Amino acid sequence: MRILIADDEAVSLRLLEKTLQRAGYEVIAVRNGRAAVEQLCLPEGPRLALLDWMMPEFDGPAVCREVRKQRGHRHVHLVLLTSKDSKEDIVVGLESGADDYLIKPFDPEELKARLHTGLRILQLEDNLVEAREAMQYKATHDALTSLLNRGTIVELIARELVRTRRENGCITIVLVDLDHFKNVNDTFGHPVGDEVLCEVGRRLLGSVRSYDFVGRFGGEEFLLVLSNCEESNSLARSEEIRAAISSSPVHTAHGLLSITASLGVFASRGRDTETVEDILRVVDSALYVAKAAGRNCSRIFGLHA
Amino acid sequence: MMNWEYASLEQFMNLPEVLVRVDGDSELLRELLALLDEELPGLLDGLHTAIHRGDLREMESAAHAFKGMLASLSINEGAALAATIEAAAREGDMLRIKETQAALDPAVAKLSTAVGLFLAGAKD
Repeated sequence: MRILIADDEAVSLRLLEKTLQRAGYEVIAVRNGRAAVEQLCLPEGPRLALLDWMMPEFDGPAVCREVRKQRGHRHVHLVLLTSKDSKEDIVVGLESGADDYLIKPFDPEELKARLHTGLRILQLEDNLVEAREAMQYKATHDALTSLLNRGTIVELIARELVRTRRENGCITIVLVDLDHFKNVNDTFGHPVGDEVLCEVGRRLLGSVRSYDFVGRFGGEEFLLVLSNCEESNSLARSEEIRAAISSSPVHTAHGLLSITASLGVFASRGRDTETVEDILRVVDSALYVAKAAGRNCSRIFGLHA
Repeated sequence: MMNWEYASLEQFMNLPEVLVRVDGDSELLRELLALLDEELPGLLDGLHTAIHRGDLREMESAAHAFKGMLASLSINEGAALAATIEAAAREGDMLRIKETQAALDPAVAKLSTAVGLFLAGAKD
């Protein structure tokens, strides 16, 4: 664990540095408050700090205030190290944003124990952040395929439409539906169907650019958002995607299965004013036309066709 | 660790206390004493200048730094004198500052000599 120590007094600084190195910390030592703020506010700056109260430029409480202001989103555990020991001083220190304080000269065991407390708090924060990120992922992704879920991909269409209009650009939306997928589930069982859905998800991701989006719209339907894909190119892109799905049989627990898909395509220009609902209706109609045309093909349908 | 090495410093320093603080590391203690030897004249000059100018804020700050350095090495009497100057500066009590300085200066001079001799001996 990295720790920053800030003290303008050379003996204290060296003593602290050595004590903390012995305790297994990677120490960053600075001799004034400004340097402490700079280090602590770096994106990957240390998350644990021991700050002397009286220092040139920024004193300890000023460092605490500045760090809290600049790095509010991620907790940094700040301990003031001071020979000021009146209750008023302690209150001022804690109210400036310090988490703890230690009276100088420090007792090495107490110092280590207080830092362990800080580490426990940081660990707790890490766990909370991890849990929040996991929940956020679950809320936005499909549990089976790990693609974006329906709510997220629909929201993305809305966002991309706004951007497309603002930039007077273009966007293509593709609705993909696997052909005769019900037969896969009925014949080989849902676990095999799930394998197929996962593999198709991977193939879809592999067939688009890094700035395109792929989501599972529901069942065996997938929705793709191809940013800056012009109308003249949208059908060709859709055909590439279709070819990627059917290019080779899918490996399943039940052996190789040939999978094809039908695709409904909609291309929007920046000046168009369609809503997400309009687009979903249009790609669904285009998909219906593709199914009616014998499946394993793409059909484009424009509001302005 | 041989405490007798530090016998000449024991009149200034609470040796058992400082040894706990350095975790019994005689090399580190020597290094800290060398830092003290290096920093002491500057700190003392700073304090003298502040007293000469009658700059209470600077006096408080210089005495605070002095106190911190001495206390880290358990040079407790010296630290207590510096603390008295710091408190007197906060209260604006120039009389007490000058009285305490009169006691601090010779104490620091003796300390400085002892530390210097110790460090010279340590090099042998």
